[in-house]
Amino acid sequence: MIEKGKIWKFSGVILIVYVIIAGLLIPLKSGIESVEPSYGNAGETLKIQVTGYNTHFKEAGNSLRAWLKWENGKAIAATEMIALDERRMNLTFSIPNNLPENTEVHAVTLLIDSEADGTSVLPSAIFLTQTEKVLTAEEVQWVQPGDFSNNGQITFPFRNILGETIRNTYFHVPLWFGMMFLFLFAVIHSIKYLRKGDAESDLKAEAYTQTGIFYGLLGLITGALWAKNTWGAYWSWDIKQNMTVVALLIYAAYFILRASFEDPEKRARVCAAYGIFAFSTLIPLLYVIPRLTDSLHPGSGGNPAFGSQDLDNTMRMVFYPAVIGFTLFGFWLSSLQFRYLRLQKLREDVD
Amino acid sequence: MKDLHFILLLLRKEFLLEFRTRSAISGIFLYVISTLFVVYETFVKIQPNVWNTLFWIILLFVAVNAMVKSFVQEKGNRVLYYYSLLNPSHVLIAKIVYNTLLLLVLSLLIWGLFIFFGDNPVKDIGLFLLILLLGSFGFSVTFTFLASLVAASNQSSTLLAVLSFPLIIPIILMLVKISAHALRLIQDTAVSGDLAILVAIDLLLCGVALLLFPFIWRD
Repeated sequence: MIEKGKIWKFSGVILIVYVIIAGLLIPLKSGIESVEPSYGNAGETLKIQVTGYNTHFKEAGNSLRAWLKWENGKAIAATEMIALDERRMNLTFSIPNNLPENTEVHAVTLLIDSEADGTSVLPSAIFLTQTEKVLTAEEVQWVQPGDFSNNGQITFPFRNILGETIRNTYFHVPLWFGMMFLFLFAVIHSIKYLRKGDAESDLKAEAYTQTGIFYGLLGLITGALWAKNTWGAYWSWDIKQNMTVVALLIYAAYFILRASFEDPEKRARVCAAYGIFAFSTLIPLLYVIPRLTDSLHPGSGGNPAFGSQDLDNTMRMVFYPAVIGFTLFGFWLSSLQFRYLRLQKLREDVD
Repeated sequence: MKDLHFILLLLRKEFLLEFRTRSAISGIFLYVISTLFVVYETFVKIQPNVWNTLFWIILLFVAVNAMVKSFVQEKGNRVLYYYSLLNPSHVLIAKIVYNTLLLLVLSLLIWGLFIFFGDNPVKDIGLFLLILLLGSFGFSVTFTFLASLVAASNQSSTLLAVLSFPLIIPIILMLVKISAHALRLIQDTAVSGDLAILVAIDLLLCGVALLLFPFIWRD
């Protein structure tokens, strides 16, 4: 049987294994990758070719349905649907002469529904232009898209720019959460040291800071990989990226400070003070400044923060365990590092 | 009342010491003048947006050089003497106030020399003076506190730069942003909000420094 004190370590590992398996193996929901052409005019018969992702257009057969939907809820159904293969399909719409909104350019949403794939949505899929209102007595068949099918599969949502990289949510974000928890515990141990003067607290603070930096580097690397795939470059001099490097520099300086003392008691005291001071600048650095400037990162510069609409229920089933798992694993790493540091110190004392 | 009395006494001591050994302060003034001279020799004509960054970077380097010696004198027997007499918070407050005033004078000198050598791109003088004060205070808090750490370690002044430059970034970013507004480089509609954030960062660091300093001071 597992000892009581070790349960949290095992649960951390089990959660991470679960996150890796579920996070990498659960397929993405089918979606619409692109539409060609993506513009048209009022009154014409519009033929478009749709490229899907993870779709089964051939297999879906007669259950395929497609609509173009305006913002005010009005929609027209496709008049003709020809599946070329599983991922490509030709759609024909007869666009009404008089479009339902009073603007020149209408951004309309494309909806595709089938029993095989469920519903896929591409907002602003097609831009329709109406130069002038035409006075004709035409009867438009407005429909209300509904009666959507549900194929009952467990999937992660498909987001156009993100694609498969949406899985990085289970690694990049929890690593940051874990880093903040580790730095927080380092500060708690620093405060403990200043209050009680116990040498073990100093070593614990050092161990937590080391693992925190390790997590920070991993968070930075996973973030850079994600940025390459979504923003187009590993490093875009985004304020959030820059401030992260600054935060890591602050903690790197902590180790330079540690190395510059001979007397262990003095080192512990000064480094504890620096650790607390550094942590208090971390809050404006990571959470205030990036919100003031333009940034590509969610949660800064007017971009929506990591909010409720960014996660669906399937993602939550993986994301929350990931946060807990990576945090627990970080604590385990720190406790191992602490024991290593303590042994090292014992050897120094013996020598 | 008694606190204020002690702080003023310590402040007077700082000024007296500085004027008795004039070499340090004249060294800093000379440092400022030669830096400005090098800058104008190499740049010839400075655009306002470059001016904005350059001003704060020069002030940053001047601040590091002026403040690294803050606690160098406080060594050995004299510390023991102070320690038995004084409250550590008073010592730190006196040092921070003294360094703020020193930096304020130095930043006005840098600004004056910039005007003398070139021209004055600052449009909103009141706002610029306000951020000179807030900037001097923020620099002074950070550098004074970290100088006390460095002084404890018997290390060279590079350690102060390594420790302080990453920590000063939130302050300097806010300063550059607000001063860009004072130079009318950008139209910042939320300038009062930015000022509030700058004040908040300054006060946060000052509070944490005051809490931690007694542990450094105790030797």
